[in-house]
Amino acid sequence: MPNAKGTRVSRRDFNKLAASTAAVGPFFLFSGRAGATQKTLKIAKWSHFVPQFDPWFENIAREWGQQHDTQVTVENIPVEKISAVASAEVKAGKGHDVFIFPWPPAQYYQHAVDHTEIYQRVAGKYGAIPQIAYRSTYNVKNKQHFAFADFWAPSPLHFRQDYWAKVGMPLGPGHYGSLYGGGKRLRDEFHIPCGLAFTPTLEGNITLHTMLYAFRAWILTGNDEVVFNRNVFAGVALKYLQQLYRETGTPDQLSWQPGGSVQAMLAGKTSCAINAISLLRAAEEQDAEAASKIWIQPPLLGRSGMGVTALPHITNCSLVWSFGQNQDEAKQFVADLIDSSRTGYAASLGFNFPTYAKTVPDLIVHLGKDPQANPHDKYLLLKDALHWTPNLGVPGFATPAFMEVFNSFLIPKMVQRVLKGQSSPEDAAAAAAVEIQRIADKWQQVN
Amino acid sequence: MKTIRERTSMVVFAVMAMMGVAFLAAPNLANSQTTTAVSGAASFNPPPCDYKDQFYMDNGLDPTQVVGRFGSARLTGPPATGNQVNWVADSTCSQRDPDRRNFRILAITGGFPDDQSGSPTEFITILGFVTNQNLIPSGINAFETTYSRNVGAINGGLDGDQQNPGETISIVNSANPRSITMQNLVSNFEAYPAPKQRLANGQIALNPCQADMVSPLAPAQPCFDLSTVNAVFTPALRQDWRFATNRNAIDGSDNNCISNNPAVCTPPNGTGSAPPQSDSPFGYFCDDLLGMWINSFFWYTVDPADHTSPLGKTCTPILKKLGQQNGLTPDGTPIVKTGDELDNILEANGCAAEGQLAFDGSDGGAIWLVCPAIPDPRAGAISADAFLDQAHNSNGTVQNIGLLENFLSLQIFGVFFTQLESSQQSQITAQAVKQQ
Repeated sequence: MPNAKGTRVSRRDFNKLAASTAAVGPFFLFSGRAGATQKTLKIAKWSHFVPQFDPWFENIAREWGQQHDTQVTVENIPVEKISAVASAEVKAGKGHDVFIFPWPPAQYYQHAVDHTEIYQRVAGKYGAIPQIAYRSTYNVKNKQHFAFADFWAPSPLHFRQDYWAKVGMPLGPGHYGSLYGGGKRLRDEFHIPCGLAFTPTLEGNITLHTMLYAFRAWILTGNDEVVFNRNVFAGVALKYLQQLYRETGTPDQLSWQPGGSVQAMLAGKTSCAINAISLLRAAEEQDAEAASKIWIQPPLLGRSGMGVTALPHITNCSLVWSFGQNQDEAKQFVADLIDSSRTGYAASLGFNFPTYAKTVPDLIVHLGKDPQANPHDKYLLLKDALHWTPNLGVPGFATPAFMEVFNSFLIPKMVQRVLKGQSSPEDAAAAAAVEIQRIADKWQQVN
Repeated sequence: MKTIRERTSMVVFAVMAMMGVAFLAAPNLANSQTTTAVSGAASFNPPPCDYKDQFYMDNGLDPTQVVGRFGSARLTGPPATGNQVNWVADSTCSQRDPDRRNFRILAITGGFPDDQSGSPTEFITILGFVTNQNLIPSGINAFETTYSRNVGAINGGLDGDQQNPGETISIVNSANPRSITMQNLVSNFEAYPAPKQRLANGQIALNPCQADMVSPLAPAQPCFDLSTVNAVFTPALRQDWRFATNRNAIDGSDNNCISNNPAVCTPPNGTGSAPPQSDSPFGYFCDDLLGMWINSFFWYTVDPADHTSPLGKTCTPILKKLGQQNGLTPDGTPIVKTGDELDNILEANGCAAEGQLAFDGSDGGAIWLVCPAIPDPRAGAISADAFLDQAHNSNGTVQNIGLLENFLSLQIFGVFFTQLESSQQSQITAQAVKQQ
């Protein structure tokens, strides 16, 4: 199929690109060494949303192990079980040597080695720590990095272009007012609900944190002071969500399991979603025609000066436990993993956006010539994604308090109480603020 | 009563006569208007003109979908008053800038920059409005979906030796060669119109009539109407505009912070105690070449005379303080000069709200503006026959005399008011006071 410039890019070309990437640089450049006693390295990681990525990672890890005379095991853990497994390891004081989270594991900073050393090692090759990594993994209290962030995933708005064209918005809604107005017409006239996830799942969490942030309903300041519901923004955002749900939504939005919003959109049952591009990748695999109708656009224009913004769907953070038995090997593995970012990007089908731009220097070329996408430059809209993607915890850092709010699904639960009619927006916001304050106070007490 | 334009002309000639400086009329202006006013100082900045159709199309906007386009419509009427005209034919426009067509804009709208300074230093020309993303049922898109034009091709120059295939300006799937759709680009540039809320019966309306814009903080009725482009004409506004021309260039060409290095983009101590530098992806003068904006209307959700309701009790002291600082609009509400005042003082306390019109055009009104800011209003950009479009008080005086002082200073001396000698400032102030 011709691309924007009229040339042809085939799947074969893309594969060639990936193959040449692999050929140009081995993932880990180490001389093998013979060792009498083979060491072990146990890795836990979140199960990637692009299925092709996990086998690639396992292979990479195995190769690294061969080069380091280390037996490496990789355990893939569903995202929804990550917190439970990590907490159990902390409680037990033992577990995997490297634990890879899909979000900043700030709550575990007391049980993490200082990853500054890894950032320093990487700096020699790829430059200073990128801002999104810095603000996602730095603990301002102890001045240490509790993890190492090597990639992230943007959260563009996905919309069914053919549906939105029916209500005069073929280029998408653009701002929250049009999301409501167009969404209402789509449901009223065509019986197609809007499909944003409002569930206590990762996509629900990211969607709702993004919407609150876009309405200036911040959770905490940079100093971990609670600002949620200290102004009217939270109440206004909740009332907007209430109206959006009532007049554009479907009850399914409150009950989807992880990935439910994706499946609904792939089935053509909903008109929009906030998600990572794994949604589109799944569509391209399952139904190319449907995929061609799902367009992406940068996030919706926020209010009260917030501009165009959305939180990262994923912030890939590797953590080496301080109680780990093989800390040196673990740190070495994490530092070396950055060398394979380019092939990791290919293996993730463009899902993994590198934190270090130099690791995938031709990112824009890839985005512009994607063999699976229709059109091939469909993802080029994401080339500026870092400009509209702040870190989780914004306007501050990803602090333990913020991440506890995030991981306890406090925000989706608050929204659900409003949408189910169990609480008024005012009462729900007030109750959530009390809980956020409790969490912030708890972490203030921790050294 | 003399019009502003007549009075402005008098000022021009009076000051020039005082200074004994010859008036530098542009030669051979077939279409009557005198353009050059700047006395003595270099006059190298061209006054604003409308864009050519081709330039609109090259930049992703269908010119046939520009409503009320200067040069084709709105010769008289707001912002012009009395005998004023908003634009004149001027054959020098395309000579000075080949992307412009020969209609020079006289209506210069003033406003505040979005840099927290509250300085009255922005000058724009509202060339037209876009009221739909897509027309149903015709399917015509205001923002082009496909377009291609080859420019710069040379075949046979220099005795046939010179060959150049040129460059193609293309729009595919609504996106330009950088894969940016015009709609998305413009969403990064917000202009803040402040519609009048005081109704004819004296009551103050606390929400727009457009259902998808209603703030939950205030009753939906009575409402003020935004359903026509007239809603953003200055007579319908309670105060002057605010514009964000200080957005960044994506390539860092305006020295914005595009680095990911926290030592560059965050405070030196890295504590995050202050927000990182603005890092928006687009630069107004280098990306938004049509000078388009999305209108973010803002309004008060509380009657300034409401001292009894809970919201009134919260907002009354806030409004009073801001009014003392910035002055009042004809509605009796405070003038808002900065984003901080709007977002963190008013909206945070529920005293104001903001919103945009629906992209499908169902709300009516001006969703987007084509109103390029004058890149450098000094040195000739404000011509002798131009007039200032600005908000007025209920008694007819101008709301922001500083804006008028800057306008007159630019028109007469080619520099901002603060750049004048004190004696010149006195002259301008005297004229501004006289005119207001």
